Amino acid sequence: MRQRRFHGLKRIRVRQTWNKYNLFNLWRLRTPPYLWRTFFQQKWTAKSLTRGYHGEHIKEHRWERMFSRRLLSAVNMDPVYMAQHDGSEQAAGRGSGLKTRPDPDNKHAVGPRNNANMRLATPYMQMAYAPMERRLDIAIFRALFASSARQARQFVLHGAVTVNGRKMTHPSYLLNPGDMFQVEIDKVMLGTGKPKPAAKTQRPPKSAPKQEASDVDEADADAEAAESEATEAVSEPVDVEALTKQHQATLKELKDRAQEALDAQDVRLRAKQKQSLRKFVHDIKSTMSRTGKRGSDAPSTSELTDLEAGLSSMLEDLSLTPTQRQDKARQAQQQKEGGGADNNEHALTKQQLELLHDIMDRHRENPVDSSKPYATPWKPRDWMAPFAFIPRYLEVNPRICAAVYLRHPVARPGLAEVPTPFSFNISQLAFNWYLRRR
Amino acid sequence: MPPRIPGGGCRPQQLLTSLEAPTPSCTLPAPALALRPRQPPTASSSRPLSTTPRCSSKTESTKPPPQLTRVRRKFLDFLEHSSMLRKSKVLKEPTYLSNNVVTRSEGEVVQRDMPFPNNPYFRSQSVLSAVSRERVWSEVMEGGMPIKAVAAKYSVDVRRVTAVVRMMEIEKRWEREGKPLAYAYARSMGHLVPQHNVRAESKFEPINDLHVHSHTMQQLFVPTSESRHFTRADAARAFGEHILPPEARMRIPELVDMERKIAQGVPPPVAGAEFIAAARESEQEIAARNFERARSKEARTVRVQTDRFEFRFEKIDSEAVGPKGRSRTAVGWRYGVPLMDRRRAEVKIPTSMD
Repeated sequence: MRQRRFHGLKRIRVRQTWNKYNLFNLWRLRTPPYLWRTFFQQKWTAKSLTRGYHGEHIKEHRWERMFSRRLLSAVNMDPVYMAQHDGSEQAAGRGSGLKTRPDPDNKHAVGPRNNANMRLATPYMQMAYAPMERRLDIAIFRALFASSARQARQFVLHGAVTVNGRKMTHPSYLLNPGDMFQVEIDKVMLGTGKPKPAAKTQRPPKSAPKQEASDVDEADADAEAAESEATEAVSEPVDVEALTKQHQATLKELKDRAQEALDAQDVRLRAKQKQSLRKFVHDIKSTMSRTGKRGSDAPSTSELTDLEAGLSSMLEDLSLTPTQRQDKARQAQQQKEGGGADNNEHALTKQQLELLHDIMDRHRENPVDSSKPYATPWKPRDWMAPFAFIPRYLEVNPRICAAVYLRHPVARPGLAEVPTPFSFNISQLAFNWYLRRR
Repeated sequence: MPPRIPGGGCRPQQLLTSLEAPTPSCTLPAPALALRPRQPPTASSSRPLSTTPRCSSKTESTKPPPQLTRVRRKFLDFLEHSSMLRKSKVLKEPTYLSNNVVTRSEGEVVQRDMPFPNNPYFRSQSVLSAVSRERVWSEVMEGGMPIKAVAAKYSVDVRRVTAVVRMMEIEKRWEREGKPLAYAYARSMGHLVPQHNVRAESKFEPINDLHVHSHTMQQLFVPTSESRHFTRADAARAFGEHILPPEARMRIPELVDMERKIAQGVPPPVAGAEFIAAARESEQEIAARNFERARSKEARTVRVQTDRFEFRFEKIDSEAVGPKGRSRTAVGWRYGVPLMDRRRAEVKIPTSMD
């Protein structure tokens, strides 16, 4: 059989991924009109649509064994109601329950009742694929640790996942309530972060002026490619000399600023912050010394650009541009003269200090590290936002990339916890398909 | 018999494609929030349509450029008009498909917290923010509050409170060890997923959930006298001998006691203090029971430490094999019961990880 596209435009299949094609398919997904089709056909379509989303990487016979016709639901009990009534009021009268005194204003007056739930029907049919959510790989995807269920499966198979502190390599492990699963932080950052820009290949210089950068359409979501094209177009080998000189000048400026931040007496840096700044100064020095040389040891322009970008972003956040530095020096002098009497000025510097500490922390937490398999500093990948939700049956701690499967997903009045993109009708038909009375 | 598609048999694939190719009227959103009407593909249009391939920069590639079909053009339009969904980095609040580009032609209301515009029953509900997790942890671990009391105070499920504390302990330990945590990832998740800050009066989730037992989903006709005081407990018994009344199945039954006291006229602060005391007592009971269980298991086990392994011997009763001798928990090989343990290609995925 011909292999179909995973994210096709022709045949709408919504998948468990954060892909832009998937987003488009999700946007145009509609409940098909069913009026003129047999019941079997309706169920077949519903089944194939829903199975394309819910665990399409799981074989059908496996899912059929997992399927359960018992759909879990929960009701919330109001303790105030339970304290005041023992339930006998519902059997009062002729068995239809106690009613309040007839009220001309409110004809639908009811007796005492448990008011802790929404007064809506319980959407049981949206729970048809609830057993799938127990699977380890799908739970990892739901906890936003991977950009697709298949990627989550790969994380498990590659040994990056532990359950209750022990390595688990079976993606089909069914989580029990209370199980804690953890994914290696680097894997999560790889799965959810922006991909590393591809290594630039050396191309022979073209005599004709480049037009691609202007031609590239932004709507194609190839902006990164366009940017890299643009930078490449800039870094033609013709003006390498000038570029290197420019780099050197910028680096020197940056180094001076970093050194100044280190030397400033009024700025109380923590030991770690000092260390990181010193390291940066050291890096710049070594790079600058290498730029003077020729041959293999000379740093590449891309390396220089990286260093410059990282440092400038770091130092710009410190708000230590030359004019600001002068202001700061003046303030410090004023403070010395006034003996700290000027509270307003003092508060300002303190704020700045806090900001500085915050930004230093941020840079230490999210450093530029070329050894990582994702783009650094880490940024969330594109098209992630519309898929970012965490269902309530999971409790996630994103800092350690761990999550606890609290309980099985349940349906409540008005809400169903299984994240499914399909309407009630489709889910109901799919559920009916698996009841095996076709 | 349904009408058939002319020219084709009843091939489901053909049916599917004919079904799913949406008519323009139903695919395009309502004019109020509609996408900008597309310019007709004229020469003035900036986008190359069919003559110029889109990826002209990749001239070396042998792959033909994708044909700019009608669907693909729609796709590109969609990407262009939903570009705010793309930049996850700059978004500072949860942004879903439903609150940006989608309007429903059927006239349904699409709420802002619906990640799936077709499914109004699934909402992107908020999660506990980092500050809330810290606060819950400090209340339990530093303040020494009973878990049930913290759960009732912030209206957070008891199981969630324990999970938060458990994971915060790991987080703190890793911080002490200097292990790099995923701060950048956590920060952007904090922007993209709706967050909830716990406060004493605001509710996070229902905490008195009862699982709906399948025995109670049937309709029963129980003949009884009119004068009988038929309570919840009686109803539970009518559904089955083993069905417990809601009072016995609630996770925090002490809350009902507290409300009962308040209804009887006890001042709420006093009732609240008594609630906390009762919660603490019940938790200590559970802890004592668990400790006793672990102790008795330890007493039954003989540990033999060698240089490589620790052997643990436990006494078992070989006669406890159930009434038919085929109990699942029975130990050892029994006549007539197949033992699949050593069969070839038998994948044994654990059912629990302790």
